Amino acid sequence: MNTGQIISGAGHLALIGWALLGGVFKSEPLPFEVTEVTAISGEEYAALIAPQEAPETAMDVTTPEAPEVEDTAPDLGSEADASPEVSQPDVAETTSPDESPEVTEVMPPAEAEVSDEAPELTPPSEDVAVMVPEPAEKPKPRPVERVAPEPVAQPEPDTQVDDVAQPETVPDETSETPREETDATAPEEAATEIVTEADEPEQAAPSTSRRPKSRPPRSEPVETVDTAQEEPAPQEPKTDNSSVNDALAEALGGGGTGAAAPSGPPMTRGEKDALRVAVKQCWNVGSLSTDALQVTVVVTVKMGEDGKPISVNQLSATGGSGAAVNKAYEAARRAVLRCGAKGFDLPRDKYDHWRDIEMTFNPEKMRIK
Amino acid sequence: MMKQFLTLLMALAIWAGPLSAQSTGPLRIEIDEGVIEPLPYAVPDFVSENGAGAEFGRNLARVIAADLSGTGLFRELPQEAFISQITSFASPVQFADWKAINAQALITGSVSVDAQGKLVVRFRVYDVFAGQELGQGQQLVGTQEGWRRMAHKIADQVYSRITGEGGYFDSRVVFVSETGPKDQRAKRLAIMDYDGANLKYLTDSSAIVLAPRFSPTGDRILYTSYETGEPRIYVLDIASVGRRVLESQAGTMSFAPRFGPDGQTVVYSQSQGGNTDLFAMNIGTGASNRLTSAPSIETAPSFSPDGSQIVFESDRSGTPQLYIMPASGGEPRRISFGQGRYGTPVWSPRGDLVAFTKQSKGRFHIGVMRTDGSEERLLTASFLDEGPTWAPNGRVIMFTRETQGAAGKASLYSVDISGRNLKPVMTDSGASDPAWSPLQN
Repeated sequence: MNTGQIISGAGHLALIGWALLGGVFKSEPLPFEVTEVTAISGEEYAALIAPQEAPETAMDVTTPEAPEVEDTAPDLGSEADASPEVSQPDVAETTSPDESPEVTEVMPPAEAEVSDEAPELTPPSEDVAVMVPEPAEKPKPRPVERVAPEPVAQPEPDTQVDDVAQPETVPDETSETPREETDATAPEEAATEIVTEADEPEQAAPSTSRRPKSRPPRSEPVETVDTAQEEPAPQEPKTDNSSVNDALAEALGGGGTGAAAPSGPPMTRGEKDALRVAVKQCWNVGSLSTDALQVTVVVTVKMGEDGKPISVNQLSATGGSGAAVNKAYEAARRAVLRCGAKGFDLPRDKYDHWRDIEMTFNPEKMRIK
Repeated sequence: MMKQFLTLLMALAIWAGPLSAQSTGPLRIEIDEGVIEPLPYAVPDFVSENGAGAEFGRNLARVIAADLSGTGLFRELPQEAFISQITSFASPVQFADWKAINAQALITGSVSVDAQGKLVVRFRVYDVFAGQELGQGQQLVGTQEGWRRMAHKIADQVYSRITGEGGYFDSRVVFVSETGPKDQRAKRLAIMDYDGANLKYLTDSSAIVLAPRFSPTGDRILYTSYETGEPRIYVLDIASVGRRVLESQAGTMSFAPRFGPDGQTVVYSQSQGGNTDLFAMNIGTGASNRLTSAPSIETAPSFSPDGSQIVFESDRSGTPQLYIMPASGGEPRRISFGQGRYGTPVWSPRGDLVAFTKQSKGRFHIGVMRTDGSEERLLTASFLDEGPTWAPNGRVIMFTRETQGAAGKASLYSVDISGRNLKPVMTDSGASDPAWSPLQN
């Protein structure tokens, strides 16, 4: 053992000594030291300084004196011309004072009438009750325009109805299974386009650039696609992946189950605003007590891929007693669950960004004043 | 070293990978604007568990619905819209059917008559979209004659479980019933449920009566009567309708009485020699003490809920304005500074607001302001509105509205403190000077 170690140690020492002294490290520093650089700088440095100095002196000498004399001369001429301008302000002063007093006289009586009658006019507001669901349905007609231009050859326009569980979109490639998951979500994704701000970023960057990255994992799910079509079909008629994006990438013929996995671009302001508008339409504070209207409550919402809330939990609350906090939370929960019952209009390719949502319900503007 | 360095690099890469992916955290949005609309609810007829309770099933549901919808905060869904029916109180609720008609709250109940002839009512309240019960189911047992009170109590529970504040349905209102033409109007005290049912008269119309006020326990009433020719204060026991006059000094007139929160102290105005000041009296001992001593008119006192302060009306500044002073007397603090004349202040049972009558520019208003005089807002406007009284939960105000002209008639109205839901209170005859009782036990 000792001899072996000694031999090994001696061998290593010899190897290290050879490495240090054998010119291994000398070879690397040599190419970095280039002597040509120093030789060039010495001569050309003087040459570079000369042209720099020459123009500077030339500019300083020639320009300053002549223009200064010329500048003074036109100034004197302009002053003499300024006298006729006096006539303009006289005209402006005469017109303005005539009209102003008439406006002020009209205003006072209008304000007095409004203040007296205001309280009596408020009761009719009760009748405006269930107007909320109608605006939620308006986004549906728009998706047709977006779906039509890009995948012209596809029969997607027929998939306007959300609840249909058997959309037949691309029967070309997969002969065994004519029905695929991809097309059911056409109306939902199109709904994000209600917000005009969101149109450009969706079409330009995110959809096309991300797709190549998602293909590798599809090699595995290719087999599972067939099974996935059979098994979860009744459970996830609406939880399909983004229709437009997958329609463009249909060449693979995959189910696209892995499309939501990669994190897409962040949510745009328009998409966030769309969600905010959707929730606030269902946030009814009319039945809350004045105490509950003092409570700002933060809830966490666990979202499913279909845009429907899975769970709502209270994260924190400020500004009220226990009972008031509870009622404020219940109203917030009702807002999320009620408007999310049919699924929020959220971009499916950004599911990672809205899988978990923190919603702050601040009733400051809604308090009785 | 190289391996260790590479290993470290790999470890950092593995650790930092998911970290960067999760760096954004959950999506955060703030909702700072909602809608104010009545909350849709459904209250199917209560299930009759034996034949004797059949007739009560529908009546209970109707009274509960009238209570809730009458607040303006709730809107009942018609029974024709129901998809599923409640046939058994114990069977699970099909929430999907109620979601489909947008019923956000569901009230189910059962009714039966036990062996002693008592009415047994059970109920549950559900948050439909959350798919769970609000609170716990309750059972009430009472006489068959008292079914309306049972319905009111259930409605109070539903109201409380949804809004977070107490209800006011199981309460009564005492008021001055008015009949006859304006110049020969007969007035007598009457009491009814808050919704106008179960009307009873407490006095005859032989003498003019004014300004009835409930005791904190709701079993007695203070009022002013001209029975002897001069205004004097009486205490009336509601159950026995027995009454007695409060002792007062000779040569004085007493009026505008109101109970303190202890049920023993009464504050009132006493006029002597053309000057009116505020006094407090222990109703048990009859001992009284002066609270104000100013040459001006001080009247319409009202205790704060904790009994520590009194808000009242005084014209010491030249026009009637509102002032607050300690309950034992002392330097008053003016709280009303708007244009017009302020009167009949009443402290909210919640303690945060004072309701009042305001006369400005030839019109009368019922309004509320904070106890420091801030945030004054007028809730009504008409030819003559006056005499506000608070609902037990401090959310609704009832008052007198009188129409113009020789045929003018006084009637009762109620309004939410938000100014919404202004509506008349049904009475058989003319009515004025309402006073809202606390919730009954």
